[in-house]
Amino acid sequence: MSLPLLFEDELRGFYRSKVMTVLWIGLPALAGFLYYLSPDTAGIPFAAFAGLIVSSIGGVLASVMLTTSILNERSRHVYDLFVVRPVRRMDILLAKFLAVYGCVVLAGALALALGIGIDYGLRGTPPAVGPTLSFLGIMLGMLAVSCSAGVLIGVAAPSVLVGVILVVYGGNQLSAVVILPVLTLSSEPWFPLLPGAGISAALLALAVVLFDRKAL
Amino acid sequence: MPSDPDRFVRIERVTKGYGTLRALDDVSFSIDEGEIFGYIGPNGAGKTTTIKILVGILRSFEGTALVDGHDVRRELPAVQRLLGYLPQEAAFQEWRTVDHALTTFGRLSGLSRADLERRKKEVLGLLGIPEVQHRRIVQLSGGTAQKVGMAQAILHGPRLLVLDEPMAGLDPASRFQFKEVFRALARDGTTIFFSSHILSDVQDVATRVGILNRGRAVHVGTLEELKARLQVGRSVEIVLAHDSGRRPDFAARADVLGVDRFAENHLVVRLRPDADVDAAIDGFVRDLLASGCRIRSISPVSPNLEELYVRFVAGDRP
Repeated sequence: MSLPLLFEDELRGFYRSKVMTVLWIGLPALAGFLYYLSPDTAGIPFAAFAGLIVSSIGGVLASVMLTTSILNERSRHVYDLFVVRPVRRMDILLAKFLAVYGCVVLAGALALALGIGIDYGLRGTPPAVGPTLSFLGIMLGMLAVSCSAGVLIGVAAPSVLVGVILVVYGGNQLSAVVILPVLTLSSEPWFPLLPGAGISAALLALAVVLFDRKAL
Repeated sequence: MPSDPDRFVRIERVTKGYGTLRALDDVSFSIDEGEIFGYIGPNGAGKTTTIKILVGILRSFEGTALVDGHDVRRELPAVQRLLGYLPQEAAFQEWRTVDHALTTFGRLSGLSRADLERRKKEVLGLLGIPEVQHRRIVQLSGGTAQKVGMAQAILHGPRLLVLDEPMAGLDPASRFQFKEVFRALARDGTTIFFSSHILSDVQDVATRVGILNRGRAVHVGTLEELKARLQVGRSVEIVLAHDSGRRPDFAARADVLGVDRFAENHLVVRLRPDADVDAAIDGFVRDLLASGCRIRSISPVSPNLEELYVRFVAGDRP
């Protein structure tokens, strides 16, 4: 089973290339900084604000990171050394997806935790559980769609430049679809996870099919 | 023509096209276990395409490719377990150290943690680069990075080693070292299939060669078979210590094809394929001495792979 090995390898790469540090410290810090700067955030709990910031900015970062990394590695034939071993090609993509998704979700969780702490400090009471879970659900769904879009565009795009343009515009817009059912159908915290998981699974499946057929 | 079913590697009637371009056209050859097979041909002849088919990177082609009886398309995992591969430019992620790269590729190839640590030390020692184990690969010179590529290919002790231009970019000492590694691995039973543009290296180390031109395998066999097939005669190199000015006209002899003159006192006499080399040398010595010349040296010269290759390929360029 190559997936755990590849996943561990990707995490090691993020650790060594300082991606984890940037995400885990940078995203919560950015959320705090923007909350402090924005004049129209009065009344919005910081936890909610942090969840939204991480979902959008973290999603863009994660998808761009995945697209550029896959395109670079494809163009340099890095995968040649993997696919000549008993490794399923889909595991290479899934390991990348899971590693990046895991890292940004953790960054989001840190930002949320920071938000809850700050809200508690400012208001003396913790933020309501329901809305906080809703933001968590939206964040998980949006990040999943952004990451899977990054993987698909990384596999399909002809160049890094085209890939980045597609992922910044297309991937980020697509991830916003996750919010729509919450606005129109139900505010249950788990509800954004359904379209998030569905769209992500479809995008990843398409990426796996393309990756399997490509000459690399 | 179908190849011998007992052979370790069999490429049978393989054809591969890219759009209208036919990269490989009905290519067949086979390789015995423990053999070092040199694969040569001009740029664009289809060498890398053949290699990518053999290692399972390209899976859309006509014909059959088998390793130890396993079809590379239908039984790829079985083939992958036998395989070590060094691409033309082995690329690693920028963050990797040599140790990380070998750990990852060793574990993906099925090595246990205990074996892995031992093998890492062994292969880095064999390639003469134990000191780079904890350095980042991007900081290494091109030649050392190529050795790291070789290290990941042999780390798990593959039965078939497939190498695409493994010695390109190496200095002479490193090329010599790679050839020694090839010989040592072949002695241990590893089959080596390698492509190269450096024909002298192929001649030095390969037990058989395959020549590919415009997607077709134009010759597969030993160098001696190649010479016999081309009916290439040997030459005799003569260096004179003194030229009397009455040198005999060797070109007029029945066993001579022609005479190349490289300097006033330096000749190469090309013999007909059916000529008796020893008898010809006897005749040259006799005639030269009779004409008052003094001989510094006279020796037979065999055509090298480069000359034979040029006969096959150079005249056939578009």
